Amino acid sequence: MKSIVRLFVGVFAAAFALMYVTSLLNSSQGYTGGNTLTIYNWGDYIDPELITEFEEQSGLKVIYQTFDSNEAMMTKVAQGGTTFDVAIPSEYAISKMKEDDLLIPLDHDKLPNMKYIDERFMDLPFDPGNEYSIPYFWGTVGIVYNPDMLDGRKLTSWNDLWDERLRNQILLVDGAREVIGMGLNSLGYSLNDTNEEHLQEAKRKLAALTPNVKAIVGDEIKMLIAGEEAAVGVVWSGDAAEMMWENEKLDYVVPKEGSNLWFDNMVIPRTARNIDGAHAFINFMLDPEVAARNAEYVGYSTPNAAALELLPEEISGDERFYPDAVLTAKLEVYENLGKRMLAHYNDLFLEFKMHRK
Amino acid sequence: MRRTIKWPNLYLIAVFIVLYAPILYLVYYSFNSGGTMREFEGWTLAWYREVFADTRLLIIVLNTLVIALLSAAISTMLGVVGALAIHQVRRRRRKNALLSLNNVLIVSPDVIIGASFLILFTIAGIQLGFSSVLLSHIAFSVPIVVLMVLPKLQEMSPTLVDAARDLGANRWNVLTKVTLPCIKPGIIAGFFMALTYSLDDFAVTFFVTGNGFLTLSVEIYSRARQGISLSINALSTLLFLFTMLLVVGYYLIDQRSGRPAGAEVRR
Repeated sequence: MKSIVRLFVGVFAAAFALMYVTSLLNSSQGYTGGNTLTIYNWGDYIDPELITEFEEQSGLKVIYQTFDSNEAMMTKVAQGGTTFDVAIPSEYAISKMKEDDLLIPLDHDKLPNMKYIDERFMDLPFDPGNEYSIPYFWGTVGIVYNPDMLDGRKLTSWNDLWDERLRNQILLVDGAREVIGMGLNSLGYSLNDTNEEHLQEAKRKLAALTPNVKAIVGDEIKMLIAGEEAAVGVVWSGDAAEMMWENEKLDYVVPKEGSNLWFDNMVIPRTARNIDGAHAFINFMLDPEVAARNAEYVGYSTPNAAALELLPEEISGDERFYPDAVLTAKLEVYENLGKRMLAHYNDLFLEFKMHRK
Repeated sequence: MRRTIKWPNLYLIAVFIVLYAPILYLVYYSFNSGGTMREFEGWTLAWYREVFADTRLLIIVLNTLVIALLSAAISTMLGVVGALAIHQVRRRRRKNALLSLNNVLIVSPDVIIGASFLILFTIAGIQLGFSSVLLSHIAFSVPIVVLMVLPKLQEMSPTLVDAARDLGANRWNVLTKVTLPCIKPGIIAGFFMALTYSLDDFAVTFFVTGNGFLTLSVEIYSRARQGISLSINALSTLLFLFTMLLVVGYYLIDQRSGRPAGAEVRR
């Protein structure tokens, strides 16, 4: 009996000692009191030095948390119990959060740096008048490929993927809208097409692609393509930039038929405690110099016109990531198609996934 | 005769190689100066240095340990009381029903337990963070402790209790001087099981963390999703070594306390 009691007293003593050390560490880092700002962002999606700089400038202490999908982020915000002050969801998540009343409107007077954002990226259908959100990064969906493994051939269009020489060489990202959208685009239809005939046509066309598809994968697509496991991938531009960083042979192209234009925007969720701090942070991130450094670190395309001018020519002049006006005109933002249509897209995608070669 | 004895050994070795190869592969690359898991370029300790230089990570490690120790200790207490109660039940059917209710909690998927806790905490208005993680860890550890302690109680001869009562011991004396010492190995085993369960739990914790409170497994997951930094390998290696230490520690305690207890019974 004595030894059991001793064991438990020891365990509790150790636990409380560790708790004390943790609280010491926490306060040495400044994570105490109401002087904090919690930021909820995608993993590896900000230059960490900028956080330190913001902390010095504002006197606030930043708690930085990451999520890996819009859905996970929305669940955590929706169910409460958390205190995220700033979050950075994608555009379709923003329209959904708006519907579910999960966002606090932005006070534009507190965001003077908003004027640096390129006109093209303001006032978009998912958030008219930018009432709730300000663009953080944008990008496209396109084809990343390894010319060495294709005997030096270049890909320029979605229809190039149906080439017989690409048998079992293509990796697709696991997204219903991306893949169905690719089918629609390759036929010259809109990404947001809801015409049943067009959708069925796209589905038949995608079924013909299956012999070329090696796998439909998630985030690991980055490692697989960079590791030359497959020659071609359909990916988001930011992932492509990361792969090209890893493996210099790779090239990226936005297909000439057009593609998806996506946004990750900064918003203030309902759960925010430090609304002034959140505005200060958003305004800080909109500063041209800060935005330029962030864009250089993250590798995605910045919507900040003034920042773009500060970026070196090799980045801002790269048409793969900053496409020219002609191509940009063909890019479309995903519209919220409503629950039923979205479910239909998912069904079609599921049928495509189950289609036998 | 000799050759036939070797086959089982060979099989065992093969199985262990299959089980341990991925871990050793991961450990090997944690010393890679190359930066990826594709090619091994040279030996370095840089990834370990990176892990130790990260105060935030250190806080997360300490959080994990505090949660593991506290939840293991509290759930052991609750579990022992529970096991004693189940043992007391005379009617067989009721006892089986109680045991099944206990076992269902062990076999039900972590995801469901995690999701239901998330809903419960939200309804109850408990802020996600330290307390929600601690409560859920205690909750999923209790059934394990019960399962570890109960066999020891059943092994214990009822005559021991009768003899103690005969010799004038009251209920409290019987509990502290006879029952608890007898089931001590079970209690300690239960404690260590609860400790390891809490240390490596991911699914439940993933649901109920929030407000900047993270445990190591959740952190490793979110880092691994971003892919390709070998500091994850270094961190996993350290965690693996720590669990190995725990196992060895448990083994030593078990040996030390196990032998005299067995000898007593024989006498």
